[in-house]
Amino acid sequence: MRIKNHPILSFDGRETIPFYFNDKLYYGVEGDTIASALVANNVKALTSSLHLERPRGFYCAIGNCASCNMVVDGEPNVRTCITPLKKDMRVYRQKGRGRLHAKE
Amino acid sequence: MKKKAKYVIIGGGISGTSIAYHLADAGENDIVLLESGYLASGATGRCGAGVRQQWGTESNCRMAKMSIDFFEKAEEILEYDGDVEFKQEGYLIVNSNDEEAALSEKNVRLQRSLGIPAEMLTAEEAKEKIPHLNTDIVHSATFCGTDGHLNPFLMTDAFYKAAKKRGVTFYTYTHVEDIVTENGAIKAVKTDKGTIECEYVINAAGGHAQKIGEMVDVDIPVFSQNREILVTEPIEKIQGPMVISFSKNIYCQQTPHGSFIMGRGDDRDAGYSVHSTWKFLDEMAKTAAGLLPPIGELRVIRQWGGLYNMSPDRQPIISGCDVNGFYMACGFSGHGFMMGPVTGKLMSEMLLGLEPSMPLEELALERFEGQDLEAYETNVV
Repeated sequence: MRIKNHPILSFDGRETIPFYFNDKLYYGVEGDTIASALVANNVKALTSSLHLERPRGFYCAIGNCASCNMVVDGEPNVRTCITPLKKDMRVYRQKGRGRLHAKE
Repeated sequence: MKKKAKYVIIGGGISGTSIAYHLADAGENDIVLLESGYLASGATGRCGAGVRQQWGTESNCRMAKMSIDFFEKAEEILEYDGDVEFKQEGYLIVNSNDEEAALSEKNVRLQRSLGIPAEMLTAEEAKEKIPHLNTDIVHSATFCGTDGHLNPFLMTDAFYKAAKKRGVTFYTYTHVEDIVTENGAIKAVKTDKGTIECEYVINAAGGHAQKIGEMVDVDIPVFSQNREILVTEPIEKIQGPMVISFSKNIYCQQTPHGSFIMGRGDDRDAGYSVHSTWKFLDEMAKTAAGLLPPIGELRVIRQWGGLYNMSPDRQPIISGCDVNGFYMACGFSGHGFMMGPVTGKLMSEMLLGLEPSMPLEELALERFEGQDLEAYETNVV
Protein backbone atom coordinates (compact mmCIF):
# COMPACT_ATOMS: atom_id res chain seq x y z
CA MET A 1 0.00 0.00 0.00
CA ARG A 2 2.15 2.81 -1.29
CA ILE A 3 1.67 5.68 -3.72
CA LYS A 4 3.78 4.78 -6.72
CA ASN A 5 2.89 7.62 -9.08
CA HIS A 6 2.62 11.17 -7.84
CA PRO A 7 2.36 14.35 -9.96
CA ILE A 8 5.12 16.16 -8.05
CA LEU A 9 7.07 13.73 -5.89
CA SER A 10 9.16 10.90 -7.23
CA PHE A 11 9.91 7.74 -5.27
CA ASP A 12 12.58 6.26 -7.50
CA GLY A 13 15.91 5.15 -6.18
CA ARG A 14 14.94 5.01 -2.54
CA GLU A 15 16.88 2.49 -0.53
CA THR A 16 15.12 -0.50 1.02
CA ILE A 17 15.47 -0.74 4.83
CA PRO A 18 15.16 -4.09 6.58
CA PHE A 19 13.74 -4.11 10.14
CA TYR A 20 12.05 -6.52 12.54
CA PHE A 21 8.54 -6.34 13.88
CA ASN A 22 7.75 -8.88 16.61
CA ASP A 23 10.92 -10.74 15.50
CA LYS A 24 9.79 -11.10 11.89
CA LEU A 25 11.72 -9.46 9.04
CA TYR A 26 9.99 -6.60 7.17
CA TYR A 27 11.14 -3.99 4.67
CA GLY A 28 10.51 -0.28 4.59
CA VAL A 29 11.95 2.39 2.33
CA GLU A 30 14.16 5.39 2.93
CA GLY A 31 12.06 8.24 4.32
CA ASP A 32 9.66 5.98 6.19
CA THR A 33 8.80 6.44 9.81
CA ILE A 34 8.48 3.18 11.75
CA ALA A 35 4.69 3.45 11.67
CA SER A 36 4.49 4.26 7.96
CA ALA A 37 6.65 1.23 7.16
CA LEU A 38 4.37 -0.97 9.27
CA VAL A 39 1.21 0.41 7.67
CA ALA A 40 2.74 -0.15 4.21
CA ASN A 41 3.25 -3.78 5.28
CA ASN A 42 -0.40 -4.00 6.29
CA VAL A 43 0.36 -4.09 10.03
CA LYS A 44 -2.58 -2.23 11.49
CA ALA A 45 -2.52 -2.88 15.24
CA LEU A 46 0.42 -0.94 16.72
CA THR A 47 -0.45 -0.99 20.41
CA SER A 48 -3.41 -1.77 22.65
CA SER A 49 -5.62 0.10 25.06
CA LEU A 50 -4.57 -0.01 28.72
CA HIS A 51 -7.67 -1.41 30.36
CA LEU A 52 -9.47 -3.58 27.81
CA GLU A 53 -6.38 -4.24 25.65
CA ARG A 54 -8.23 -3.48 22.46
CA PRO A 55 -6.06 -2.85 19.37
CA ARG A 56 -4.93 0.71 18.63
CA GLY A 57 -3.68 1.76 15.21
CA PHE A 58 -2.21 4.66 13.24
CA TYR A 59 -4.14 7.73 14.36
CA CYS A 60 -2.83 11.28 14.73
CA ALA A 61 0.41 10.72 12.78
CA ILE A 62 2.02 13.80 14.35
CA GLY A 63 3.22 12.47 17.72
CA ASN A 64 0.40 13.87 19.84
CA CYS A 65 -1.65 10.82 20.72
CA ALA A 66 -0.40 7.56 22.21
CA SER A 67 -1.91 5.30 19.57
CA CYS A 68 1.37 4.20 18.00
CA ASN A 69 3.55 3.86 21.11
CA MET A 70 5.74 0.80 20.65
CA VAL A 71 8.86 -0.77 22.09
CA VAL A 72 11.79 0.08 19.82
CA ASP A 73 15.24 -1.35 20.52
CA GLY A 74 14.23 -1.91 24.13
CA GLU A 75 12.80 1.55 24.71
CA PRO A 76 9.07 1.70 25.55
CA ASN A 77 6.53 4.35 24.49
CA VAL A 78 8.38 5.35 21.31
CA ARG A 79 6.07 7.43 19.12
CA THR A 80 6.61 5.40 15.98
CA CYS A 81 4.68 7.79 13.72
CA ILE A 82 7.38 10.45 14.07
CA THR A 83 10.44 8.25 14.55
CA PRO A 84 12.44 7.62 11.34
CA LEU A 85 12.95 3.98 10.41
CA LYS A 86 16.51 2.73 10.67
CA LYS A 87 18.16 -0.44 9.43
CA ASP A 88 17.71 -3.53 11.65
CA MET A 89 15.52 -1.79 14.22
CA ARG A 90 13.70 -4.22 16.49
CA VAL A 91 10.12 -3.10 16.94
CA TYR A 92 7.61 -4.79 19.24
CA ARG A 93 3.94 -4.25 19.83
CA GLN A 94 3.66 -2.82 23.35
CA LYS A 95 1.43 -4.29 26.02
CA GLY A 96 0.50 -2.05 28.90
CA ARG A 97 2.31 1.13 29.89
CA GLY A 98 5.80 -0.02 29.11
CA ARG A 99 8.69 -0.73 31.42
CA LEU A 100 11.11 2.05 32.14
CA HIS A 101 14.61 0.89 31.34
CA ALA A 102 17.94 2.40 32.27
CA LYS A 103 19.80 3.57 29.19
CA GLU A 104 23.35 2.34 28.85
CA MET B 1 -31.60 29.61 45.91
CA LYS B 2 -32.42 29.17 49.58
CA LYS B 3 -33.12 32.39 51.46
CA LYS B 4 -32.13 31.05 54.85
CA ALA B 5 -29.84 28.47 56.41
CA LYS B 6 -28.23 27.91 59.79
CA TYR B 7 -24.75 27.25 58.39
CA VAL B 8 -23.14 28.58 55.23
CA ILE B 9 -19.84 26.94 54.32
CA ILE B 10 -17.70 28.86 51.83
CA GLY B 11 -15.51 26.59 49.73
CA GLY B 12 -16.16 23.26 48.03
CA GLY B 13 -12.77 21.64 48.41
CA ILE B 14 -11.81 18.87 50.77
CA SER B 15 -12.17 21.10 53.87
CA GLY B 16 -15.60 22.50 52.99
CA THR B 17 -17.11 19.18 51.93
CA SER B 18 -15.63 17.43 54.99
CA ILE B 19 -17.06 20.10 57.31
CA ALA B 20 -20.44 19.79 55.58
CA TYR B 21 -20.39 16.01 55.98
CA HIS B 22 -19.31 16.04 59.64
CA LEU B 23 -21.89 18.68 60.61
CA ALA B 24 -24.67 16.85 58.79
CA ASP B 25 -23.59 13.52 60.22
CA ALA B 26 -23.83 15.02 63.72
CA GLY B 27 -27.49 15.75 62.99
CA GLU B 28 -27.44 19.30 61.64
CA ASN B 29 -29.83 19.61 58.74
CA ASP B 30 -29.76 23.24 57.65
CA ILE B 31 -26.46 23.56 55.83
CA VAL B 32 -25.57 25.29 52.57
CA LEU B 33 -22.18 24.99 50.86
CA LEU B 34 -21.08 27.62 48.33
CA GLU B 35 -18.36 27.00 45.76
CA SER B 36 -17.22 29.57 43.18
CA GLY B 37 -16.25 26.93 40.60
CA TYR B 38 -16.83 23.18 40.59
CA LEU B 39 -16.07 21.00 43.60
CA ALA B 40 -12.31 20.52 44.13
CA SER B 41 -11.57 23.17 41.48
CA GLY B 42 -9.18 25.02 43.81
CA ALA B 43 -6.20 23.78 45.77
CA THR B 44 -7.75 20.36 46.51
CA GLY B 45 -7.89 19.31 42.86
CA ARG B 46 -4.45 20.81 42.23
CA CYS B 47 -2.56 19.20 45.09
CA GLY B 48 0.09 16.49 45.08
CA ALA B 49 -2.37 14.04 46.67
CA GLY B 50 0.02 12.70 49.29
CA VAL B 51 -1.01 12.02 52.88
CA ARG B 52 1.69 11.72 55.51
CA GLN B 53 2.13 11.67 59.26
CA GLN B 54 5.81 12.54 59.38
CA TRP B 55 5.61 16.03 60.81
CA GLY B 56 7.68 18.14 63.17
CA THR B 57 4.96 19.52 65.45
CA GLU B 58 2.64 17.63 67.73
CA SER B 59 -0.53 19.21 66.32
CA ASN B 60 0.34 18.39 62.73
CA CYS B 61 1.26 14.81 63.68
CA ARG B 62 -1.98 14.29 65.56
CA MET B 63 -4.13 15.78 62.80
CA ALA B 64 -2.38 13.76 60.13
CA LYS B 65 -2.71 10.50 62.07
CA MET B 66 -6.42 11.02 62.71
CA SER B 67 -6.92 11.78 59.02
CA ILE B 68 -5.07 8.66 57.90
CA ASP B 69 -7.17 6.59 60.30
CA PHE B 70 -10.22 8.07 58.55
CA PHE B 71 -8.90 7.54 54.99
CA GLU B 72 -8.32 3.86 55.79
CA LYS B 73 -12.05 3.40 56.34
CA ALA B 74 -13.38 6.31 54.25
CA GLU B 75 -15.28 4.26 51.68
CA GLU B 76 -17.00 2.32 54.42
CA ILE B 77 -17.78 5.32 56.65
CA LEU B 78 -19.09 7.43 53.78
CA GLU B 79 -20.77 4.46 52.05
CA TYR B 80 -19.04 5.52 48.86
CA ASP B 81 -19.82 3.42 45.80
CA GLY B 82 -16.42 4.08 44.22
CA ASP B 83 -12.76 3.69 45.09
CA VAL B 84 -10.90 6.72 46.48
CA GLU B 85 -7.63 5.07 45.38
CA PHE B 86 -6.04 5.19 48.83
CA LYS B 87 -2.66 3.46 48.65
CA GLN B 88 -0.55 3.13 51.78
CA GLU B 89 2.91 2.46 50.45
CA GLY B 90 4.68 4.94 52.65
CA TYR B 91 6.57 8.20 52.47
CA LEU B 92 10.33 8.15 52.20
CA ILE B 93 11.82 11.42 53.42
CA VAL B 94 15.39 11.86 52.23
CA ASN B 95 18.04 13.60 54.35
CA SER B 96 20.91 15.34 52.57
CA ASN B 97 23.29 15.99 55.46
CA ASP B 98 24.05 15.45 59.17
CA GLU B 99 22.04 18.48 60.20
CA GLU B 100 18.91 17.30 58.42
CA ALA B 101 19.38 13.76 59.73
CA ALA B 102 19.58 15.08 63.31
CA LEU B 103 16.32 16.97 62.86
CA SER B 104 14.75 13.85 61.33
CA GLU B 105 15.77 11.79 64.33
CA LYS B 106 14.11 14.29 66.63
CA ASN B 107 10.96 14.26 64.49
CA VAL B 108 10.83 10.46 64.36
CA ARG B 109 11.01 10.36 68.18
CA LEU B 110 8.06 12.77 68.37
CA GLN B 111 6.11 10.81 65.75
CA ARG B 112 6.71 7.48 67.47
CA SER B 113 5.62 8.94 70.82
CA LEU B 114 2.28 9.73 69.16
CA GLY B 115 1.86 6.23 67.75
CA ILE B 116 3.08 6.97 64.23
CA PRO B 117 5.22 4.05 62.94
CA ALA B 118 8.05 6.13 61.45
CA GLU B 119 11.66 4.89 61.39
CA MET B 120 15.14 6.03 60.45
CA LEU B 121 16.76 4.34 57.43
CA THR B 122 20.32 4.31 56.16
CA ALA B 123 20.85 5.26 52.51
CA GLU B 124 21.18 1.53 51.68
CA GLU B 125 17.91 0.68 53.42
CA ALA B 126 16.26 3.56 51.55
CA LYS B 127 17.48 2.06 48.27
CA GLU B 128 15.76 -1.20 49.14
CA LYS B 129 12.48 0.72 49.26
CA ILE B 130 13.23 2.78 46.14
CA PRO B 131 15.65 0.87 43.89
CA HIS B 132 16.07 3.81 41.49
CA LEU B 133 17.06 6.25 44.28
CA ASN B 134 20.39 7.96 43.64
CA THR B 135 22.10 7.20 46.96
CA ASP B 136 25.17 9.25 45.95
CA ILE B 137 23.25 12.34 47.05
CA VAL B 138 21.34 10.75 49.93
CA HIS B 139 22.66 10.87 53.52
CA SER B 140 19.89 8.85 55.19
CA ALA B 141 16.11 8.77 55.25
CA THR B 142 13.00 8.34 57.34
CA PHE B 143 10.12 6.10 56.38
CA CYS B 144 6.55 5.61 57.52
CA GLY B 145 4.71 2.73 55.88
CA THR B 146 1.17 3.88 56.66
CA ASP B 147 1.61 7.19 54.80
CA GLY B 148 0.44 7.18 51.22
CA HIS B 149 -1.66 8.92 48.61
CA LEU B 150 -5.23 9.05 47.39
CA ASN B 151 -7.29 10.72 44.71
CA PRO B 152 -8.38 14.26 45.76
CA PHE B 153 -11.27 14.44 43.27
CA LEU B 154 -12.74 11.12 44.37
CA MET B 155 -12.25 11.86 48.07
CA THR B 156 -14.06 15.20 47.66
CA ASP B 157 -16.79 13.42 45.71
CA ALA B 158 -17.15 10.89 48.53
CA PHE B 159 -17.62 13.67 51.12
CA TYR B 160 -19.96 15.52 48.76
CA LYS B 161 -22.21 12.52 48.16
CA ALA B 162 -22.32 11.57 51.85
CA ALA B 163 -23.14 15.19 52.81
CA LYS B 164 -25.80 15.49 50.11
CA LYS B 165 -27.42 12.28 51.30
CA ARG B 166 -27.59 13.84 54.77
CA GLY B 167 -29.42 16.89 53.43
CA VAL B 168 -26.67 19.45 52.71
CA THR B 169 -27.48 21.88 49.86
CA PHE B 170 -24.64 22.60 47.42
CA TYR B 171 -24.42 25.65 45.13
CA THR B 172 -21.51 25.51 42.70
CA TYR B 173 -20.48 28.36 40.36
CA THR B 174 -21.72 30.73 43.04
CA HIS B 175 -19.53 33.65 44.08
CA VAL B 176 -19.61 35.09 47.57
CA GLU B 177 -19.70 38.88 47.19
CA ASP B 178 -20.07 40.02 50.77
CA ILE B 179 -20.88 38.94 54.29
CA VAL B 180 -23.33 40.99 56.33
CA THR B 181 -22.84 41.38 60.07
CA GLU B 182 -24.99 43.06 62.68
CA ASN B 183 -23.83 43.96 66.18
CA GLY B 184 -20.70 41.89 65.72
CA ALA B 185 -22.58 38.78 64.63
CA ILE B 186 -23.10 37.04 61.31
CA LYS B 187 -26.34 38.00 59.58
CA ALA B 188 -26.19 36.90 55.93
CA VAL B 189 -24.01 35.94 52.97
CA LYS B 190 -24.47 37.82 49.70
CA THR B 191 -23.74 35.91 46.51
CA ASP B 192 -24.16 36.64 42.82
CA LYS B 193 -27.18 34.33 42.87
CA GLY B 194 -28.92 35.78 45.92
CA THR B 195 -28.59 36.41 49.64
CA ILE B 196 -28.75 33.72 52.32
CA GLU B 197 -29.57 34.69 55.89
CA CYS B 198 -27.57 32.58 58.30
CA GLU B 199 -26.20 32.21 61.83
CA TYR B 200 -22.83 30.72 61.01
CA VAL B 201 -20.32 31.24 58.22
CA ILE B 202 -17.46 28.79 57.88
CA ASN B 203 -14.57 30.06 55.81
CA ALA B 204 -13.02 27.10 54.00
CA ALA B 205 -12.04 29.11 50.94
CA GLY B 206 -8.47 27.78 50.74
CA GLY B 207 -6.31 30.19 48.73
CA HIS B 208 -8.99 32.86 49.01
CA ALA B 209 -9.61 32.57 52.76
CA GLN B 210 -8.02 35.93 53.49
CA LYS B 211 -10.44 37.73 51.15
CA ILE B 212 -13.40 36.09 52.88
CA GLY B 213 -11.96 37.25 56.23
CA GLU B 214 -11.76 40.83 54.94
CA MET B 215 -15.50 40.77 54.27
CA VAL B 216 -16.10 40.69 58.04
CA ASP B 217 -13.03 42.84 58.86
CA VAL B 218 -11.11 39.90 60.30
CA ASP B 219 -7.44 40.03 59.42
CA ILE B 220 -6.40 36.40 59.04
CA PRO B 221 -2.57 36.30 59.00
CA VAL B 222 -2.30 34.09 55.93
CA PHE B 223 -1.19 34.68 52.37
CA SER B 224 -1.45 32.65 49.19
CA GLN B 225 1.38 31.49 47.00
CA ASN B 226 1.44 29.66 43.67
CA ARG B 227 3.05 26.20 43.82
CA GLU B 228 3.50 24.17 40.69
CA ILE B 229 3.27 20.49 39.86
CA LEU B 230 3.94 18.45 36.76
CA VAL B 231 2.79 15.02 35.62
CA THR B 232 4.60 12.61 33.32
CA GLU B 233 3.41 9.96 30.90
CA PRO B 234 2.38 6.70 32.60
CA ILE B 235 4.75 3.76 32.93
CA GLU B 236 4.50 0.36 34.61
CA LYS B 237 4.83 0.66 38.36
CA ILE B 238 8.37 1.12 39.68
CA GLN B 239 7.77 3.25 42.77
CA GLY B 240 5.54 2.53 45.77
CA PRO B 241 6.35 5.23 48.33
CA MET B 242 6.20 8.99 47.89
CA VAL B 243 9.74 10.35 47.91
CA ILE B 244 10.29 13.78 49.41
CA SER B 245 13.21 15.94 50.44
CA PHE B 246 13.02 19.32 52.16
CA SER B 247 16.59 20.31 51.35
CA LYS B 248 16.43 19.18 47.72
CA ASN B 249 12.96 20.66 47.46
CA ILE B 250 11.01 17.84 45.84
CA TYR B 251 8.11 15.49 46.37
CA CYS B 252 7.41 12.79 43.82
CA GLN B 253 4.92 9.92 43.68
CA GLN B 254 3.79 7.41 41.07
CA THR B 255 -0.01 7.40 40.79
CA PRO B 256 -2.06 4.19 40.42
CA HIS B 257 -2.49 5.22 36.76
CA GLY B 258 1.28 4.96 36.30
CA SER B 259 2.15 8.63 35.84
CA PHE B 260 4.55 10.46 38.15
CA ILE B 261 3.33 13.57 39.92
CA MET B 262 5.99 15.86 41.33
CA GLY B 263 6.28 19.32 42.77
CA ARG B 264 8.58 21.75 44.52
CA GLY B 265 8.33 25.14 46.13
CA ASP B 266 10.29 28.28 45.47
CA ASP B 267 10.27 31.87 46.61
CA ARG B 268 7.24 33.47 45.09
CA ASP B 269 5.44 36.69 45.75
CA ALA B 270 2.14 36.33 47.51
CA GLY B 271 -0.74 36.41 45.06
CA TYR B 272 -3.56 34.53 43.45
CA SER B 273 -1.97 33.54 40.14
CA VAL B 274 -1.88 29.83 39.35
CA HIS B 275 0.10 30.14 36.12
CA SER B 276 2.71 27.66 34.96
CA THR B 277 6.31 28.73 34.48
CA TRP B 278 9.32 27.53 32.49
CA LYS B 279 11.50 28.00 35.55
CA PHE B 280 9.53 25.36 37.44
CA LEU B 281 9.64 22.88 34.56
CA ASP B 282 13.40 23.31 34.25
CA GLU B 283 14.21 23.09 37.96
CA MET B 284 11.73 20.30 38.67
CA ALA B 285 13.09 18.14 35.87
CA LYS B 286 16.68 18.61 37.05
CA THR B 287 15.81 17.86 40.68
CA ALA B 288 13.82 14.73 39.83
CA ALA B 289 16.42 13.39 37.40
CA GLY B 290 19.13 13.97 40.01
CA LEU B 291 17.41 12.13 42.85
CA LEU B 292 15.48 9.51 40.84
CA PRO B 293 17.49 9.24 37.60
CA PRO B 294 15.34 6.88 35.46
CA ILE B 295 12.40 9.26 35.77
CA GLY B 296 14.40 11.71 33.66
CA GLU B 297 13.56 9.49 30.67
CA LEU B 298 9.84 10.20 30.94
CA ARG B 299 8.00 12.84 28.95
CA VAL B 300 6.11 15.58 30.75
CA ILE B 301 2.41 15.54 29.90
CA ARG B 302 1.39 18.79 31.58
CA GLN B 303 2.01 21.13 34.49
CA TRP B 304 -0.22 23.34 36.61
CA GLY B 305 -0.23 25.62 39.61
CA GLY B 306 -2.31 25.84 42.76
CA LEU B 307 -2.44 28.01 45.85
CA TYR B 308 -0.76 27.21 49.15
CA ASN B 309 -2.49 29.18 51.88
CA MET B 310 0.43 29.91 54.18
CA SER B 311 0.06 30.59 57.89
CA PRO B 312 2.88 32.13 59.95
CA ASP B 313 3.76 28.86 61.72
CA ARG B 314 2.79 26.56 58.82
CA GLN B 315 0.07 24.99 60.94
CA PRO B 316 -3.61 25.35 60.08
CA ILE B 317 -5.99 27.84 61.63
CA ILE B 318 -9.16 26.07 62.76
CA SER B 319 -10.85 28.68 64.85
CA GLY B 320 -13.63 31.08 65.65
CA CYS B 321 -12.99 34.81 66.09
CA ASP B 322 -14.35 38.13 67.43
CA VAL B 323 -17.23 38.08 64.98
CA ASN B 324 -19.94 35.88 66.42
CA GLY B 325 -20.69 32.98 64.14
CA PHE B 326 -17.65 33.43 61.89
CA TYR B 327 -15.36 30.39 61.81
CA MET B 328 -12.41 29.49 59.66
CA ALA B 329 -10.43 26.46 58.49
CA CYS B 330 -7.53 27.83 56.49
CA GLY B 331 -3.76 28.39 56.45
CA PHE B 332 -3.02 24.72 55.83
CA SER B 333 0.26 25.75 54.16
CA GLY B 334 -0.01 23.17 51.42
CA HIS B 335 -1.41 20.33 53.49
CA GLY B 336 -5.14 20.90 53.63
CA PHE B 337 -5.99 17.86 51.54
CA MET B 338 -4.30 15.34 53.80
CA MET B 339 -5.89 16.91 56.89
CA GLY B 340 -9.36 17.13 55.35
CA PRO B 341 -11.12 14.53 57.50
CA VAL B 342 -9.88 15.94 60.82
CA THR B 343 -10.64 19.50 59.68
CA GLY B 344 -14.29 18.57 59.28
CA LYS B 345 -14.38 16.71 62.56
CA LEU B 346 -12.74 19.47 64.63
CA MET B 347 -14.83 22.19 63.02
CA SER B 348 -18.09 20.34 63.65
CA GLU B 349 -17.08 19.72 67.28
CA MET B 350 -16.27 23.41 67.66
CA LEU B 351 -19.58 24.54 66.15
CA LEU B 352 -21.65 22.11 68.19
CA GLY B 353 -19.79 22.77 71.44
CA LEU B 354 -18.61 19.17 71.77
CA GLU B 355 -15.45 17.91 73.44
CA PRO B 356 -12.68 18.41 70.83
CA SER B 357 -10.82 15.31 69.57
CA MET B 358 -7.50 17.10 70.17
CA PRO B 359 -6.30 20.30 71.88
CA LEU B 360 -7.31 23.29 69.77
CA GLU B 361 -5.15 26.05 71.29
CA GLU B 362 -2.35 25.49 68.78
CA LEU B 363 -4.83 25.88 65.93
CA ALA B 364 -6.61 28.97 67.27
CA LEU B 365 -6.38 32.34 65.56
CA GLU B 366 -5.36 34.00 68.85
CA ARG B 367 -2.07 32.09 68.94
CA PHE B 368 -0.51 34.69 66.64
CA GLU B 369 -1.38 37.69 68.84
CA GLY B 370 1.77 39.45 69.98
CA GLN B 371 3.90 36.64 68.57
CA ASP B 372 7.05 36.96 66.59
CA LEU B 373 5.63 35.17 63.58
CA GLU B 374 8.44 32.75 62.92
CA ALA B 375 7.78 29.44 61.21
CA TYR B 376 8.43 26.40 63.33
CA GLU B 377 7.02 23.56 61.28
CA THR B 378 10.07 22.81 59.14
CA ASN B 379 8.69 19.76 57.34
CA VAL B 380 7.13 21.67 54.45
CA VAL B 381 7.94 21.35 50.75
